[in-house]
Amino acid sequence: MSGSAPVVHADRPLGSGRHQGDRTGTPAVAAAVRRRILRFAVDQPVHLGPSLSVADILVTVCAAMGLGPSFPDDPARDRLILSKGHAVWALYAVLAERGVLDLDRHDGPLAGHPHEETAGVEVSTGSLGHGLSVAAGLAEAGRLDGHQGVVHVVLGDGELNEGSVWEAVMFAAHRRLDRLVALVDANGMQQEGRTAEVLDLSPLEAKWRAFGWHTAEVDGHDHLALAAALADARAQRHRPSVILCHTIKGKGVPFMEHRAEWHVGRLSTEQLATALAAVGATADSGSDD
Amino acid sequence: MTDLVSPAHAAATRQAATDLETAEPDRAAPRFQAMRPACAEVLAELGDRFEDLVVLAADGHALAMRFLRAHPERFVDVGIAEANLVGVAAGIARTGRRVVVGTMAPFLVRRAAEQIRLDVCQPGLDVTLVGIGGGLGYGTLGATHHVTEDLAALAAMPGTRVFCPVDVHDAAWALREAVAWPGPAYVRLGAREDEVVFTADQEFSVDRPRAFGEPGGALVVATGATVPQALRAAERVRATGLPVQVLALTCVAPFPSAAVAAAARTARVVVTVEEHLAAGGLASGTALALAGWWHGRFVPLAVDGRRAPVADRGELFRFYGIDSHAISCALLAPASEPGVTACASS
Repeated sequence: MSGSAPVVHADRPLGSGRHQGDRTGTPAVAAAVRRRILRFAVDQPVHLGPSLSVADILVTVCAAMGLGPSFPDDPARDRLILSKGHAVWALYAVLAERGVLDLDRHDGPLAGHPHEETAGVEVSTGSLGHGLSVAAGLAEAGRLDGHQGVVHVVLGDGELNEGSVWEAVMFAAHRRLDRLVALVDANGMQQEGRTAEVLDLSPLEAKWRAFGWHTAEVDGHDHLALAAALADARAQRHRPSVILCHTIKGKGVPFMEHRAEWHVGRLSTEQLATALAAVGATADSGSDD
Repeated sequence: MTDLVSPAHAAATRQAATDLETAEPDRAAPRFQAMRPACAEVLAELGDRFEDLVVLAADGHALAMRFLRAHPERFVDVGIAEANLVGVAAGIARTGRRVVVGTMAPFLVRRAAEQIRLDVCQPGLDVTLVGIGGGLGYGTLGATHHVTEDLAALAAMPGTRVFCPVDVHDAAWALREAVAWPGPAYVRLGAREDEVVFTADQEFSVDRPRAFGEPGGALVVATGATVPQALRAAERVRATGLPVQVLALTCVAPFPSAAVAAAARTARVVVTVEEHLAAGGLASGTALALAGWWHGRFVPLAVDGRRAPVADRGELFRFYGIDSHAISCALLAPASEPGVTACASS
């Protein structure tokens, strides 16, 4: 238990202005995002493992969206729904890095799941298995209105246990919702252990393909691969796309990686220092691979 | 306990109650009409009027048939998948469109409860959920198809208007009203035919329930298909000399507490009757409206926890004691037996 003063909001957007609205330099942003995630966990329990695994995915998507301080109200905008809402700390960190969310001016505690009154949060989530249906509805309406905005939805692999996800998977393919891009943070773990042991999802790519989706599999921490897969997905026509992002739960912090007990955690001062050092090293190298 | 009714009056009411079985109804032969085809017309008309209106179904097109013919591009069938149905509706509504979702009430309300709560009602989206066959309407199709908690469930959702129309005219009004209301709404429709109580030109209101009869010693608060039952009972009971007013609630959330309280002011007996559980339904709403100031005999007639037998809707009304006979008995029960109907054993 840490008695130190909260240092949650200590980070300013890295290279202030450099990452606001640009579509490059994502590994450096990801390192800053990880530092923010870790600092969130000083004075409260945080879903660290899933936030660290999804960080590079969110950084890449927000970069592709060109998200910046003036969060657009344009009905034709690109959208992002974090369906695995418990990884919200990664979302806060990315939104802060991109200048959408000013954490210094945020009153009161940050919600443990996305709350749509927070700047940059498109849809409140938290109960698993909702985001893909809502995203499909947004894509359906976008088509009716002739908009080209892409609806991105980020799911966890554990979340795919929810039957409602597969209702939406069938629906989106049937409706040929090509403005819909799903990204699965496939870290291979869920709360109680490995997904393969809790409820085996394999063969995951074959499942999505069989349901009629354009599929891609990438290293979910490789920014170039993520960006390429995302560009390809956004360019697809007549079918929705899914990018299965193979990730490491707790990525970037060796003592958390692959460890189910770090699904939710709180950091002591010593743990924070160790974790920041681990993340900082990768930040200095400009890449975390 | 003091018996507030004279022995002579009590004997007379008991006699009247026993006579009920054989009493000839005064009303003209009732007319029955299904709500769904009428609402299908209304939906098509709303589709013409509102270019942003999108209609969603889950492999059931009867309600949307006319709309679908006129506006196929604004109709989406998600298949038999209620959770996705409501999630997709929420996504569409988020772009500022009006959405009407129509499917069988039991599956809509129970299976998609979380999507209704989190995706539609919490953000206050403009989605009208039309539940076809609420209550016991599907009769012999069995308990899987009965939904006697829909009004309570939807009334518990934030900012949601809940309509339980009485007949075909009321249903047409309720659907228009729900779609015009910019927030979430639920409209319970009958599964098959319901007795026609109103005329097409009748005026309806969200906060002013229709009253039948003048305020007097007894008040019956009813909604949906129990309204004609209450009217029949009131007619019979009035013949015994007890003035009865019937309040017909179409909008049950927000609950018209002020109107119910005003109607109960002169009443010494209040009976609520609903094709629904008492908890969260008319019984709860009425009790809250009367709590702390009203003194008298309160008889909540409602579906209870007993397993439904295989029976048609009329028989189920008798089984649960929400038919006109049960209402008459409740009105005429001696005051010394609070909550007990005079002819419960019949």
